[in-house]
Amino acid sequence: MRMQPKLRVLSGCLILAFGIGGGVLGVLAQESGGTGTSEVETLKKQMAQMEEQLRQLRRQVEQMEGKKGEQKEGPSAVAPPPEKPPAVADEQRMKRLEEKVDAALAGTKKVFPSMENPAIGLIVDTSAGYKSHAQTFNYGQPGTRDAGAGFNNDRPAGGDFDLRAGELMISSQVDPFTRAYGVLAGSADPTNNNQATISVEEANIITTRLPYNLTLRGGRYFADFGTLSRQHDHDLPFVDRPPSLDAFVGGEGQTDGVELSWLAPTSTFLRFSAGVGDKFGEDFGSPPNNVTNLTGRPLKGMTYFGKVQSYFDINDNNNFEYGFSIADSPKFTDVCNCGEFERQLLDVDFKYRWYPLATGLYQSFTVAGELLYDHGNEDPVNGGPRLNALGQPARQGAWGGYTYAEARLNRQWRAGFRFDYYQLPSEPELVTNPFTGLPASTLNASGNRTANRTYSPYLTFFASEFQRVRLQYNHYTDGNANNADEFFLQWTVVLGSHSHGFTDRE
Amino acid sequence: MKRVQHMIRRLWLVGLVCGLTAASPTWAGEKIYIVTSLPDLADLARQIGGDAVTAEALATGVENHHAVPIKPSMVVKLNRADLVILMGMEYEHAFLPALLGEARNPKILKGSPGYIDCSVHVTPKEVPENLSRVEGDVHPLGSPHFNLDPEGGRAIAQAIYEGLVLNYPALKPKFEANYNAFLAKLDEKEKEWAVLARPLKGLKFVSYHRAWAYFADSFGMISVGEIELKPGIEPTATHIVDLLGQMKAVGVKVVFREPEYPETVPDQIAAQVGGVVVKMPLMAGGVPEVKTWFELIEYDIRAVLKAAQEAGVIGKV
Repeated sequence: MRMQPKLRVLSGCLILAFGIGGGVLGVLAQESGGTGTSEVETLKKQMAQMEEQLRQLRRQVEQMEGKKGEQKEGPSAVAPPPEKPPAVADEQRMKRLEEKVDAALAGTKKVFPSMENPAIGLIVDTSAGYKSHAQTFNYGQPGTRDAGAGFNNDRPAGGDFDLRAGELMISSQVDPFTRAYGVLAGSADPTNNNQATISVEEANIITTRLPYNLTLRGGRYFADFGTLSRQHDHDLPFVDRPPSLDAFVGGEGQTDGVELSWLAPTSTFLRFSAGVGDKFGEDFGSPPNNVTNLTGRPLKGMTYFGKVQSYFDINDNNNFEYGFSIADSPKFTDVCNCGEFERQLLDVDFKYRWYPLATGLYQSFTVAGELLYDHGNEDPVNGGPRLNALGQPARQGAWGGYTYAEARLNRQWRAGFRFDYYQLPSEPELVTNPFTGLPASTLNASGNRTANRTYSPYLTFFASEFQRVRLQYNHYTDGNANNADEFFLQWTVVLGSHSHGFTDRE
Repeated sequence: MKRVQHMIRRLWLVGLVCGLTAASPTWAGEKIYIVTSLPDLADLARQIGGDAVTAEALATGVENHHAVPIKPSMVVKLNRADLVILMGMEYEHAFLPALLGEARNPKILKGSPGYIDCSVHVTPKEVPENLSRVEGDVHPLGSPHFNLDPEGGRAIAQAIYEGLVLNYPALKPKFEANYNAFLAKLDEKEKEWAVLARPLKGLKFVSYHRAWAYFADSFGMISVGEIELKPGIEPTATHIVDLLGQMKAVGVKVVFREPEYPETVPDQIAAQVGGVVVKMPLMAGGVPEVKTWFELIEYDIRAVLKAAQEAGVIGKV
């Protein structure tokens, strides 16, 4: 009688194990292309262990049945077998095994392609805005982009709804040596009835196993320059890109090229990078249209980048990071194919952060900014040489930059203020002496370079980690009574894979 | 132009000098240098590794595990690490993958022997049926908070032991002795905790964040709900009203507040039901008096006991 419950348990478990095992192996065969092989191998090992344990139990039961039969036939000279472990212990063990199989099965039924290969996410970034009529809409018109109304003028004045970006991001480990990602972006094109223009914003390959703390990146990416030039528009701490960056770089700092970075073997974070690309952003370096079979692009016509970046913890709750960057194009052909010119852009970036570890989700404070100096002899907007007050080609510099402060008020609300300033790189040519009719620098007229300033308070609400609404007001003044006001309401969501990248860190 | 080039050269030199004159490297010399995500894992790594290892955690224990700040100084630690030990099951998704991507240390990349995932022997709980973000910021592989369970500690220790032996087989006898000593201590502690926590069997509670499945199951407690609307989503007024209704209906008097979440709403909820709020750290270091994993479990059990007694749902023990 003592054996029967065991036999029932054993038979039931054998049926269960082989039935589940077959089913699991069938699921595994189907899922083998999707989920990682390590989980599959673990499951197989667990199943194999289960089956072996069941076989051992069966042998024991059979042995005991045999011995029981011998005992029934009559007294034997053989000593009775040792006491068996109680049936309860075996049943408990079987139950634990069953629970493990159940959990393993439950795990295999979940297919997470985004965990492995590839991760896919979509950003939808939209805005509603109103721009005062002091701004002119003159997108893509040479000679007018900076002419006294030089910011955010790639959208119409007045009321505007803008699909800023629908960005599809795909990333994956390629093999043990490299990973890669791509960003396909569609945004409303104001010159084409707001139809979405789709472009490849980024698509590049990154090594993961180079020696000596090196990493190589190649393809299309945002050059390692400054801070915000490396971020997509939807990742900015505010609605719009700082006007100074738009003036000097022109949008995101995209380049097609190759970049090598090195993490120094020091106890303080110190990182160097050097790269070369065909251009930088929209306004820096040789536009590809100007490179033809006849003209070509010399090596000096490329844009060369360099950056050194460091960081230190003041204490657990306070830290500071800073960097120095340069973009240099020694001899490039300008927008109008008027000749070969040179241009350098220098950048100093900094960020101070107070982030109390225990409550950082609910309160923090950040002050950050960049200071830029643009120097060269090319008019980046109109093409041709920069001209001094006498109308002579000249190398000239222009300063610009922004700073902002942002406070996290609680988990959902953040408030900030940004100040932006820049001088036009091509200013002297754009100002005409009203008496002579000749190009003149405002230096002559007023004794000052035109100072374009923007004051921008903003407020952000995070409904969740994946949805954000932001309200911002810009007041622009260029010192020449050309003032403009602008309101934005931005709404941004993230679908799918959600990766916290090192560059995107707060 | 020459002036600019000169300026550029100066800037590079400044940067280089700053870096090279920085404090001398602080790696551990001959010892195996282990970087862990949580302080609990660093503690267990030291217990099993003994004097062959030095271990430090990226998190200090007070942070919200979804908001451990990514700091470049962590990159330096990971760059030098011989091993990285993590909870796994997407526990560290908010910070560790980004840091590993920047650390330039192939030894500790996912899939390498130096990447020790402590969830490999864990039977997951709360595996979601629905992976939609309608359910908030769910953990797709199940709840990763298995460090709050004695059996979770056993699984973690096993993973650490196996990882150490895989990477340093010559030190197996040392690791094995330490591992067995840990298991013996755990067996003893489990018996103590089982006795200590006996009065908590059947205790109903709510928590700020959904993190207590392993702890509750281990000691027979029942989670009735969370203050967060969904994982990672702050509560709405409607949700708080619903939660209060549930609590009153089934007699919940104990409210768990993980230290990284605010006090106001839990205090208000407890006041509404005549209950008690208890501070419950999710990791070692979450409160000053908890420095090790054993202390974490003990602290959490005793804290709940005290709160339950104060709330009058159990007698004095």
